[in-house]
Amino acid sequence: MSRKLWSGVVGVAVALAVGGLIMLLQGYEPVSAYGALFQLSLAGAGPLATTLKNSVPLILTGLSASVAFASGPINLGQPGQLVFGALAATLVGIYLPLPAGLAVPLLLAAGIAGGALWSGVAAFLRQAFGMSEFIVTLMLNMIADFFTAWAIAYPFMDRKAFSPMTLPIAGGGWMPDLGPLSASVLVMLAAAAIVWFVFRRWRAGYEWRMTGQNSVFARLGGCDIDRNFWAIMLVTGALAGLAGALVVMGGPHRFIKGLGANYAWDGIMIAIMANNGILGTIVYGVFIAAIQTGALGMELITNVPSEIAQVLEAVLVLVIVATREYANVFLDRMAARRQAKGRSA
Amino acid sequence: MADLIALHDLVKVYPPNVLAVDEVSVSFRKGEIHSIVGENGAGKSTLMKLLYGLVPFDSGRIEFEGESLRFREPGEAIAHGIGMVHQEIELISQYRVWENVVLGAEPVRAFGRLDKTRAVEAVRGKIEEFQFNLDPLARVDAISVAARQKVEILKLLYRNVSVLILDEPTAVLTPQEIPQLFAELKRLRDGGHTILFISHRLDEVLALSDRITVMRKGRTVATVAASGTGKEALAEMMVGRQVIFTSRRREHPRGKVVFEARNLSRVRADGLRLLDEVSFRVHAGEIVGIAGVEGNGQFELVNAVMGLAEPSGGSVHVEGRDLTALSILERRKLVSFVSQDRGGMGASLQASILDDAIMTHHRLDGRFTFWHGLVLDYRAARDFVDRLAARFSVQMASRSSEFRSLSGGNQQKLILGRELLLPTPFFLMDQPTRGLDVGSIEYVHGEILAMRDADRAVLLVSADLEELFLVTDRILVMHRGKIAADLATEGTTVEEVGRYMLEGKAAS
Amino acid sequence: MNVLIGLITGMISGATPILLAALGGALTFYAGVFNIAMEGMMLMAAFFAVLGSFLFHSWLAGLAFAILGSLALAAIFIFFSVKLKTDEFVTGIALNLFALGTTTYLLRQIFKVKGVFTSKAIVPVPAIHIPYVENIPFLGPIVSGRNLIVYLAALATIACTYLVFRTRYGLRLRAAGYNAASLDSSGVLASRIRTQSLLACAVLCGLGGAFLSLGYVTLFAENMTAGRGWISLAAVILVDGHPVGIAIISLLFGFFDGLGLFLQNYRVAPQFTAMVPYIATLAALYVYARRGRGRRGMKL
Repeated sequence: MSRKLWSGVVGVAVALAVGGLIMLLQGYEPVSAYGALFQLSLAGAGPLATTLKNSVPLILTGLSASVAFASGPINLGQPGQLVFGALAATLVGIYLPLPAGLAVPLLLAAGIAGGALWSGVAAFLRQAFGMSEFIVTLMLNMIADFFTAWAIAYPFMDRKAFSPMTLPIAGGGWMPDLGPLSASVLVMLAAAAIVWFVFRRWRAGYEWRMTGQNSVFARLGGCDIDRNFWAIMLVTGALAGLAGALVVMGGPHRFIKGLGANYAWDGIMIAIMANNGILGTIVYGVFIAAIQTGALGMELITNVPSEIAQVLEAVLVLVIVATREYANVFLDRMAARRQAKGRSA
Repeated sequence: MADLIALHDLVKVYPPNVLAVDEVSVSFRKGEIHSIVGENGAGKSTLMKLLYGLVPFDSGRIEFEGESLRFREPGEAIAHGIGMVHQEIELISQYRVWENVVLGAEPVRAFGRLDKTRAVEAVRGKIEEFQFNLDPLARVDAISVAARQKVEILKLLYRNVSVLILDEPTAVLTPQEIPQLFAELKRLRDGGHTILFISHRLDEVLALSDRITVMRKGRTVATVAASGTGKEALAEMMVGRQVIFTSRRREHPRGKVVFEARNLSRVRADGLRLLDEVSFRVHAGEIVGIAGVEGNGQFELVNAVMGLAEPSGGSVHVEGRDLTALSILERRKLVSFVSQDRGGMGASLQASILDDAIMTHHRLDGRFTFWHGLVLDYRAARDFVDRLAARFSVQMASRSSEFRSLSGGNQQKLILGRELLLPTPFFLMDQPTRGLDVGSIEYVHGEILAMRDADRAVLLVSADLEELFLVTDRILVMHRGKIAADLATEGTTVEEVGRYMLEGKAAS
Repeated sequence: MNVLIGLITGMISGATPILLAALGGALTFYAGVFNIAMEGMMLMAAFFAVLGSFLFHSWLAGLAFAILGSLALAAIFIFFSVKLKTDEFVTGIALNLFALGTTTYLLRQIFKVKGVFTSKAIVPVPAIHIPYVENIPFLGPIVSGRNLIVYLAALATIACTYLVFRTRYGLRLRAAGYNAASLDSSGVLASRIRTQSLLACAVLCGLGGAFLSLGYVTLFAENMTAGRGWISLAAVILVDGHPVGIAIISLLFGFFDGLGLFLQNYRVAPQFTAMVPYIATLAALYVYARRGRGRRGMKL
């Protein structure tokens, strides 16, 4: 437990130091820049609520990646699954206007179904033809991107809009706010709780974890690898699709160009930082959301370009992973050296 | 004869706290065959790796021809004329014999172009000089294990090493091939080479060596002349107490047929018959052993029984049910399995001890789950692990520690316990005592005999003939995918089994 | 006739960046490195190529900067995955994102634009016209007049084939991938070979990235590699790394790239034509999977 914490702390410290160095080289003042960044994202109910809302797609795609990686399948298709979920939720939201009590669950279900459908394609290609889901999900990302771009520019385009986008979804589908906090945060937390429970307490989750750690052992132990593969792909696709639905319902309320942004790749990185742990994914998700939320405001105040957030994230993931893996080696080596000195004394 | 190599007070601690070599001092003379014996885990391999530069040592001194040296990588050792052949033969199976031999010291033409003709000629020259029986153009994955070992030795001789370190070389040879290897080693010694021979097989070591050093728990116990000692004395030094070499097996009547393989076959895509019409039976209350050099079909047999691979023909039955029609889970109701590879097939190293212990039980035993198998009952699981640990004397810190924190012996005991507690009539074991210390080996053998006395049927695949003779009622020999012989253990000898291992049915 | 020539030259242009990245990927593949950072290396190269060319008004500077940018990324990869033994998959993904973040950030910082940067001051890598050859009917306009980097890519293919299969270094390179422990005990450190293969990959990706931004267009756009690094990874796996096989596959993808543009003339929506190379990759993967090929630790 403490090693996870240690590598996280070191990672954050180094990343902030590197970011600070870059800022200094560009002639900016790091302390006030970071101050602005964290103040704008965490200080006060308003900023905190925004940060939490922004963390929703990051955490959900992060959970998708975490569960997949920890269980074996290399699902890198969250970007495509997210936009498919978003498109599904958007279309249902436009063409099936319902009152809020019914619309919200329906649209969430549509997002889940959209994401699961797209990951299901990858799962099918793997199970039926042996095509590696690693490459397939990557290709499907690009195809999904182009497909949704076409969908919002041709058949479902809002003719009155200046750039490609769909009509807005009916009001019933808009995610309500509870005070300053968006309800999408509650949905995300509920989903995270369900994922935790399934992964750590259900028999299926036990089999997924064992399969991810040693698939031959799990197979020999009687686990149904094929059925578990389908389940994992569909569940993780559903999570990414849910993220897409929430982005639409809690944000622009329509499918606009660039909706998916970099959420899913950030989510994958978060999963890696968290070493596929569920709690870690949530923590890092909030942290990255804070950096991203604060970065925009920081730019307004201090002129440091907000893109530095991306650089920080990449450095963060590299240092965290390296520290985590190296820390074990390093601490073990220290212990060994101490013992050896004791012998020859 | 002067000391060629002298080791002084070497210490090696493997992180975090495994004291592998504990202030070892020993010296080797030029032109001798010097064996280092000890049980698994005594530190003999590690000691040689320290000398060879594969692993850095923490303190102490190594002197080579009087000069204090420390090799930082094997390349430096080789440059000084010291070469090591590892227990796990590390050749590049996709390359040919000559490519493996010259790798790292290749003759070249202009522009770095590999000079194939000169290389093949040089390798052929060495083969003839040392009278090895090898074809330089053969692909390594097409030659026998004994031949591959020769290639490893040749690699070193090509680089003109004068000191050869061999780590458990006879583990992969049949009884017939061993004298051949020994003859070659003696020839090398007579030509001025020094041989350092690591082994835990006392009969061989006594037949081959000039001097023997015994190691136990990382320290040296004694260095003696081979002619001045015997097997019991060496064993006692190795283990610290008297070791029993006779079998504990008692008479036990065998019951009905529990396991039957009928014409089991597995043909590879290129036509090679990995399993060739294998048929045999195992009865309740009986232990049947499968002997054979690794790679003669044992692996495929295990896979076919467990369901990891489909046979091309034939079938496997347990208590009359045809396994080939069943899923792996269904098979596990009938078959318990202990593999040679604890971290490979037997468990997940990074999982907790609890997680590894409940595998298969989580599916077959309703007490472990709530709600029709949906949610795991962790309290029941914890009770189970506690009972398992108590019954099988597994020493562990806590149920949630990582499986790999257990010692090799405790890991195997946990796996054994887990499999034994499955209510199955048939037990398949594949090299279950490989790499274990003597105490654990004795324990596992005791459990195997207990299974038999409880009327279960046991099939024991093993490369250790001594183990087979200690424990089994019958021995089958596999050779090139066929059952070459079916012998009653009491009525056969190591030599006879060895002949079948080497020649197959032709030996009868 | 001109349409056909256009299709073929389009195919060659589309193939070149993939070919270069895939050759780099092949070298690391042979060495046993699980390298998925080609995308990031090419993107860095594309940006720095524009930077160098813009600052020094010279395409040569652009090429040099491109290779340096790509090498910088490789250096980080080497530091983390060879020195610190961090998981190669994770390192690769992180570096791809790092490249995306860094190039986008620098685009804002240095050129003060978002999205795309272009300028008359950027000097593109020239096309080479070969006298006499260019007059040969049909073949002439295809073989002559191609961008310098295209010729370099062809040379690189030949050089890699020779290196991997005929030289002493190639024997060691492949050995590092087959069995690193064996190579180590032969006295040649596999980790050194792997480091060298990553550096070579960076140089090749450097050329590939430079071709994207200084070759047939002269601009840098955010994320302009658009998944080509992933396609080159697929190419490496499909032919088990063989350079000649890679050249053929790259031409195939280049063809589909050009086909996409061609189909736009037939009122097929541009988004669908853009999908073509990726669908082609899936189809190729299907064929590959059916034939049950695969080797060497690339756990896919």
